[in-house]
Amino acid sequence: MNDSADLHTLTGAYALDALSPAEAAEFARHLAECPACSQEVRELRETATRLAFAVAQVPPPGLRDRVMWSLPEVRQLPPLVVEPVVVPLRGPRWRQRLPYLAAAACLAIAAGAGVWAVQAQRDADRARDGNIQAEQRASDLETLMAAPDATLRTGSMRGGGGATVVSSQRLGRTAFVYHDLPPLGTARVYQLWYSQNGSMIPAGLVTPGRTDGAQLLAGGPRGADAVGVTVEPSGGSPTPSGPPVMVVPIPS
Amino acid sequence: MHAVARDNGPVAPGPGSLETLLERVSRGDQQAFDSVYTAVAGSVLGLAHRVLRDPAQSEEVTQEVLIEVWRSAARFDAGRGSAMAWIMTLAHRRAVDRVRSAQASADREQRAAARDHSPAFDEVSEQVERRLEREQVRRCLGQLTELQRESVNLAYYRGYTYRETADVLGTALGTVKTRLRDGLIRLRDCLGVTS
Ligand SMILES: [Zn+2]
Repeated sequence: MNDSADLHTLTGAYALDALSPAEAAEFARHLAECPACSQEVRELRETATRLAFAVAQVPPPGLRDRVMWSLPEVRQLPPLVVEPVVVPLRGPRWRQRLPYLAAAACLAIAAGAGVWAVQAQRDADRARDGNIQAEQRASDLETLMAAPDATLRTGSMRGGGGATVVSSQRLGRTAFVYHDLPPLGTARVYQLWYSQNGSMIPAGLVTPGRTDGAQLLAGGPRGADAVGVTVEPSGGSPTPSGPPVMVVPIPS
Repeated sequence: MHAVARDNGPVAPGPGSLETLLERVSRGDQQAFDSVYTAVAGSVLGLAHRVLRDPAQSEEVTQEVLIEVWRSAARFDAGRGSAMAWIMTLAHRRAVDRVRSAQASADREQRAAARDHSPAFDEVSEQVERRLEREQVRRCLGQLTELQRESVNLAYYRGYTYRETADVLGTALGTVKTRLRDGLIRLRDCLGVTS
């Protein structure tokens, strides 16, 4: 009785795959004889699925082809009432392809990861070093992402890498979310600018040495028609010293 | 061998139709599979990325999961839940298995350590069309107690077992079990999930 009462409480852990293999096997046996737990696990799995939707990201363009191309080589199983098990890819063919996988960097990394990343990072910051600045920055970015009028525009950088510019006129904030920026060494730095009627207004420097990250621009997007990126001497410049390596328009 | 329907743009199937697509996939219909890909690849990849925190490994897992969907579509049992839940369960298990393997864990510690020194966060670019879903999930997560939310977060998005979760949170095992359950139940009710 006691054991069984205890088992009933495992529906949540089971639905989240948080049991050890032995416990999961035992609970699976229990499920076969406990309709209440079965129903609950079904519902909690559907709930967990919503947590997955919330972190969806844009798959890199090559992934679809890689999957589609491999289909003819995969024999399909006949129907059978057995829970399927995912088999890891093995074999020389896949190993050859791994470098491509690794190279296909996380393109326009996306998505909803944001909200949780903010929460998780904020907790981590708080717990580990009480980094109030980071918390504030995360919180500002989170607010910006959640703004109902936030727009997202994506661009690629000459020479590699790319970025998404998130801006909200209502909040008067803009974020620059970048990935795979080509490294510049120590003497130079990426500088951000608002473009407004042809003039360039300094909007901050990308943290030197970072190739992936997110940051808020100094100043707001009001009146600006684009965000530009230039390569400048370390410390930045009052005006661009060369043509932009990327320009991302901001909808007004 | 070519991806079909790509140029029609992503069209998320309505309720029920993913099940229909899987039925066609189980008979070797590649065009149906292409639609399944469109419907689920982003969520599978995003989930794998949350758990594994590594783009290359996340793509591998996504590829493995989708190929498994192709391979065992005939074994999807609609009596046991929706097609989406079936696929996302495959995805979560696969990602969790990988992150729990010794090598992956070592990598994960390293990555987590590296992450501690990073600014606010790296992964914030988002898909506009996902915003509503995310907003709703976030709002509902906001209604959980902190312990419920932390427990669900660590178990689902980090792939921790409930024992690891209890360790990390400094909480009794029984408490974590209960918080995972009542936290998910509260989420279920808030999101209006039915089954
Ligand atoms: Zn039970």
